[in-house]
Amino acid sequence: MSEEKKDHKKEDFEPRIVGFLCNWCSYAGADLAGTSRIQYPPNVRIIRVMCSGSVDSMYILRALLEGADGVFVGGCHPGDCHYIDGNYKARRRMVLLENILGTLGLEKERVWLRWISASEGQKFADTMKEMTESIRKLGPSPIAKHWNL
Amino acid sequence: MTQKVIKVKDNDVIGSTNEFFRQLLSSGKIQALLVPQNTPSKKVAFPVLISDPKKLHADIIAPILPASTAAMVSKMTKVQPPAKPIGVVMRSCQIRALIELVKLNQANLINIVIIGVDCPGTFPLNTYAEFPEKKTPTHFLLEAWVKKSDDAEKYFRSVCRMCKDPIPTNADIILGFYGTDFEKEIIVEAHSDVGKEILKDLPLEDEKEGKSREKAVKEIRDEKTKKRALFLKEKEGIKGIDKVAEFFDKCVNCHNCRQACPICYCKECLFDSSVFDAEAYKFLRRAEVKGLFKMPNDALLFQLGRMNHMILSCVECGLCEQACPNNIPLMEVFIPAAENAQKEFDYHPGKDRTEKVPMIVYREDEFLEVGEK
Ligand code: SF4
Ligand code: SF4
Ligand code: SF4
Ligand code: FES
Repeated sequence: MSEEKKDHKKEDFEPRIVGFLCNWCSYAGADLAGTSRIQYPPNVRIIRVMCSGSVDSMYILRALLEGADGVFVGGCHPGDCHYIDGNYKARRRMVLLENILGTLGLEKERVWLRWISASEGQKFADTMKEMTESIRKLGPSPIAKHWNL
Repeated sequence: MTQKVIKVKDNDVIGSTNEFFRQLLSSGKIQALLVPQNTPSKKVAFPVLISDPKKLHADIIAPILPASTAAMVSKMTKVQPPAKPIGVVMRSCQIRALIELVKLNQANLINIVIIGVDCPGTFPLNTYAEFPEKKTPTHFLLEAWVKKSDDAEKYFRSVCRMCKDPIPTNADIILGFYGTDFEKEIIVEAHSDVGKEILKDLPLEDEKEGKSREKAVKEIRDEKTKKRALFLKEKEGIKGIDKVAEFFDKCVNCHNCRQACPICYCKECLFDSSVFDAEAYKFLRRAEVKGLFKMPNDALLFQLGRMNHMILSCVECGLCEQACPNNIPLMEVFIPAAENAQKEFDYHPGKDRTEKVPMIVYREDEFLEVGEK
């Protein structure tokens, strides 16, 4: 127990966040943040996807069950999806996922969906700061210490 | 709606329904029936597709649902629907599942005449096969039903005790047992033009007391709804990863539940795909994350992923639970999850063929708080 406590102390805890970013917007936004040298926390591990609509809930769940403290999905603003309506469908899927996580008491606050365009480097950096701090407050994911899933 | 009755001879309920089915087949209006019939061992009753009235010894009361009837209709109609009408005898949960499959383009109702039967409930397959009472499951159930006793209650599958709706909807014809002394008269209702046309020339008598059926239907619906609400309240308990992990502890990731589920129709399920095969070093890497790695792997991922794929269309038939070799009471999480998710999208699986499955449609001006903030 004491060892667990040590592992999970909040103050020196660095959240591990998995970010699924749409190639056409949020990924480019992250890129812009980088090239513009805007500082943001290094806690997010970025996975590029072709559209927020291509992120099956399974991938978000897998990140959570493997112990990620948070999962971020970034898509184009409503109306701007390269594939017309991928982000609207991603939004419905997110509502469903949050609903199911809610039913099972699995901290839906750890899953974020945000619209960030290719030109919003600053917004990307701000969002990452906001999410990292919010997850830090939540503490380490209790799923992380379960190996029997 | 047209209401008629089958006159039951000598209290022989099953025999009289079979007489009705034989007349139906002989009328030439349907070329075949899919109807439950006991196997020679009498340990199971499976739907059989039957066109010869002489071979028909059906048992539509047999309290058993060995597999999804909706999936059978899907198999039979998806490639090409029949050229002439086939009657399919189904319980309400399976009609609901069939309607979902139609919406998902996995079944076709052209020339399919749905004959719904009031369902008092079914026993687990093995209870039916090894029934401990002296009578057959069907006779035991009929007797309890007539007496309005709860003798059969202890044998029902738990999901049947709190059935979402034991009365068929979306059927062309309904065989009604609630609200009638069915040892004398079984109610036959036509709920569509097709149904009316089929019943027209059959030697049935007119029903006089429509009111008592209405009242009995309302009563049984209320009773089941109350039990379901109570169950939902009790099952609030499975919350948080500790409880969820414990709940699925016995899951061996065999996917039987998915195989039995009428809604999980995918030709290649994502969870059987090569996504889950990987080089040894990747397994090792995953082991390093938590220090150890349980195998067979990804059982909970399968459960939660499957739930995300199909819960909006879940019709609460409980076939997943019945299929689980390790007796995991799956409905304890699937009913609450279905209730909450379907409420969120104001979606009613199996109710209306024109209602679109939520995950294929959207509105621009909905859920605006999601993605913004
Ligand atoms: S999840 Fe279970 S209860 Fe729901 S439709 Fe599938 S088999 Fe039936
Ligand atoms: S779990 Fe998902 S992918 Fe697998 S059969 Fe069901 S709906 Fe299809
Ligand atoms: S049938 Fe039971 S053991 Fe098999 S995958 Fe489903 S829940 Fe797990
Ligand atoms: S292309 Fe960016 S969300 Fe669809």
